[in-house]
Amino acid sequence: MRKFFKIAAILACVVSFSPAQAAEKLNGAGASFPYPVYSAWAFDYHKATGVQLNYQSIGSGGGIRQITERTVDFGASDAPLTPDALAKAKLLQFPAVIGGVVPVVNIAGVKPGEMRLDAEASAKIFLGEIKYWDDGKIRALNPKLKLAHTEITVVHRSDGSGTTAVFTEYLNAVSPDWKAKVGSGTAVKWPVGIGGKGNEGVANYVQRTANSIGYVEFAYAEQNKLTYTLLKNAAGTYVTPSFAAFEDAADTGTFDPKNHFYLWLVNAPGKDSWPIAGATFILLAQEKMDANRKVVKFYDWAFKNGDAKAKELVYVPLPKSLKDKIRAYWKANGAQ
Amino acid sequence: MTREQIRKAEGAAALTLSTLSALLGLFWLVFILGDVLVQGLQALTPTLFLNDPAPAGAEGGGLRHAFVGQLLITFFASLIGVPVGVLGGTFLAEYARGRRIARIISILSDIVVSVPSIVIGTFVYAVLVKPVGHFNGWAGAVALAIIMIPVVLRTTEDMLSLVPWELREAAFALGAPYYKVIIQVVYRGAATGILTGILLSIARVAGETAPLLFTSFNNSFFSVDMSHPIASLTATIFQYATGPYKTWHAQAWAASFVITVFILLLTILGRLIIRWRYK
Amino acid sequence: MAVTVKRNPGDIIFFSLTAVASCTIIVFIVGIVFVLLTESSLAIQKFGVIQFLTSTEWDPVKETFGALTSIYGTIVTTALSLLIAIPVALGIAIFITEVAPNFLRAPIGIAIELLAAIPSIIYGMWGLFTLSPLMGNTVEPFLKKATASIPLVSVLFQGTPMGIDVLTASVILSIMIIPFTASIARDAFNLTPAVVKESAYALGTTKWEVVKNIVIPYSKLGVFGGILFSLGRALGETMAVAFVLGNNHRIFTSLFDSAATITVTLANEFTEADKDIYLSSLFYLALVLFVMSFVFLAIAKFFLLRAERRYSR
Repeated sequence: MRKFFKIAAILACVVSFSPAQAAEKLNGAGASFPYPVYSAWAFDYHKATGVQLNYQSIGSGGGIRQITERTVDFGASDAPLTPDALAKAKLLQFPAVIGGVVPVVNIAGVKPGEMRLDAEASAKIFLGEIKYWDDGKIRALNPKLKLAHTEITVVHRSDGSGTTAVFTEYLNAVSPDWKAKVGSGTAVKWPVGIGGKGNEGVANYVQRTANSIGYVEFAYAEQNKLTYTLLKNAAGTYVTPSFAAFEDAADTGTFDPKNHFYLWLVNAPGKDSWPIAGATFILLAQEKMDANRKVVKFYDWAFKNGDAKAKELVYVPLPKSLKDKIRAYWKANGAQ
Repeated sequence: MTREQIRKAEGAAALTLSTLSALLGLFWLVFILGDVLVQGLQALTPTLFLNDPAPAGAEGGGLRHAFVGQLLITFFASLIGVPVGVLGGTFLAEYARGRRIARIISILSDIVVSVPSIVIGTFVYAVLVKPVGHFNGWAGAVALAIIMIPVVLRTTEDMLSLVPWELREAAFALGAPYYKVIIQVVYRGAATGILTGILLSIARVAGETAPLLFTSFNNSFFSVDMSHPIASLTATIFQYATGPYKTWHAQAWAASFVITVFILLLTILGRLIIRWRYK
Repeated sequence: MAVTVKRNPGDIIFFSLTAVASCTIIVFIVGIVFVLLTESSLAIQKFGVIQFLTSTEWDPVKETFGALTSIYGTIVTTALSLLIAIPVALGIAIFITEVAPNFLRAPIGIAIELLAAIPSIIYGMWGLFTLSPLMGNTVEPFLKKATASIPLVSVLFQGTPMGIDVLTASVILSIMIIPFTASIARDAFNLTPAVVKESAYALGTTKWEVVKNIVIPYSKLGVFGGILFSLGRALGETMAVAFVLGNNHRIFTSLFDSAATITVTLANEFTEADKDIYLSSLFYLALVLFVMSFVFLAIAKFFLLRAERRYSR
């Protein structure tokens, strides 16, 4: 027994002093949507530089809070913070990668890309006002589809999530009704439907439940071959969710460094823009200069070397012009 | 039917039902263990223990970081929990024996053992994570230690009480002070029992997940630095099982297999020691 | 038998050490209550006690929070799991103490205890990957069909069976608490004096009559305490249900609905909460859970102690 404690004491000393010579470490937490691409970048970055960047996907809400409480070196959020909120929490913010949210359905006989929806129909379905797939409104949009009189099951996220924030922001932008009744945020009080945890939970429910509709990240829909729908955008075109459509949305959006890049890419005006796109953001603590420099170094590296990897994982890299704006923003705030 | 027959039939029916329910209990055990065994063994490879994780979705990564992190957290939890538990139990069974305070603490520990572990997680988050400024392995170890202390404390108390009082009297008669009697005589007599309690308490905390979510957090890299977020098997299982990738699911099963076998072995070992010592 | 400590320096040191160590238990309880109260003070001020406990509004956008949906989910899943677990657990206890041949008693006892040792995250994962598809594809459609024509009962089985719902969560919970209840019930049954049982057998009673008329009445306090103890456990279980409940804040009527319990809400939303009032409300929920389980466990302990005191003499 006594020997055990002696050994334990020695071990304790060794472990508690070892960090001094351990590798450089960075901790980040937040949005689950960019988790695969951040962790892939971090893996390559570790190989290239020896720096460990530990990113944990706990959700955007969590990312915002952890960086506000300074429990991590950087936070990540799919929902941009307003300049006011950033000033209050003394944070910096810049976008890192772009993605999109797509509605997915499970209706017998309907293949990916066959169902067409517009803003009004989507809002009414998620409000519970359109209850059946053969509703006149949906039939008018899809004259070629044979739709039976079956009840719609709405599937949404049960956990707080940036995906929900982007999706509800879109509904907010296109439907005054939605804005008045529900609003937008990482978690909202859903009028109808069942909740699944994470993209996989929603996908799981949609696949298992006949006549259901849900929303997931594009990367997720793509990898799992889900039945996505077409959406009518602000310019009146029916768009297929694709790299090009997200890039188009990103191009038409004007990110302003003065506002810390605060911008929702939803309902973008471009002719071929996918209407539910969104950048995902990195949050830094203003006063943590040292940590910021290291985090910025990582993202600078990723902007230079990570585009191919991002595309491989079905994310849209930032356009070059935006990257330059971000680099200037870093310099201006003493992080580079 | 005669009254006699009715009574017999009723008895047979009831006893059959009770046998069936025992079989049902065994059925669940076999079902769950079998599933973990089959699915876990399929994913069990040497690289699981030797490699750190590959990037999300890619093949070939391992869980070395989580195994080491889990061992560290559990080890330090024991380092805090075992001495405090054993000393606390000593107080109840020796110095405070028969006093009201011993009884109250003993009852309270029985309750604390079953307090929801997620509440302990939120408590440690407020005390050790928020003020420090970041998630850290120590907070995880402390959260597990809090769960461990009442278990060790109660077993120690019970085991010390089983040591015959005459043994202490014999030692007193030789002029030994009480603390020497406890350390050299009583502890020796109860050593195996206390050891069993310690083993079972380790088995209890090794599978805890909820208190680690908000304390030691998780880490996708290999790290032995307890003052920062550190990986654990259980938190990794939670993340991987709810993740979208098939490779993650397979590794979650493999990790479940390892942790289940570890805990069941500890539990069986504990039971065997009790049987061997106290029969 | 208490010993008066002589003023020996070694004893004074050792006495203080052990006393401090044992007091950590009290420190934990007081500390938990104090910290949870402080952290939730914001929500307590804003929502009060009654309003928080009775409001079904859990709306992070409008920042109004009420605990009733979580409490309701907690109570229903716990009650349902007890309903499934108690008969089985009592059956197991009767089997081990009265029916099984001697050589089988120890192995089965150990097997049941192994079931208790499996960590809850394993139950949760197994529930998600194995039990939930089984429930969603086979068991639940069957239940729906079987009850469709029975009024009132069919309300419980309405909606689309998906396997991620109240029923699946309750089944997993019940599997988890069966071993606790069974082993406490077994210990309580074992307290029945052998002499009494033997006298009954001598009068020609059957085994079942001995159990029904002697063992159970003799041990009912202990069994009741055991059930309450399992209830306390089920209330606070997190990982086993977090995977399969869906975290949905609403008052449900069908067992095929997804729901939220206090623990599931905490596990899903604690690291997510971005606003102060949101986090504070979650701490408030944790406080409610702590108080609920503490009260049930304390009552359970009270009954178990009464049972022991009455029959161990």
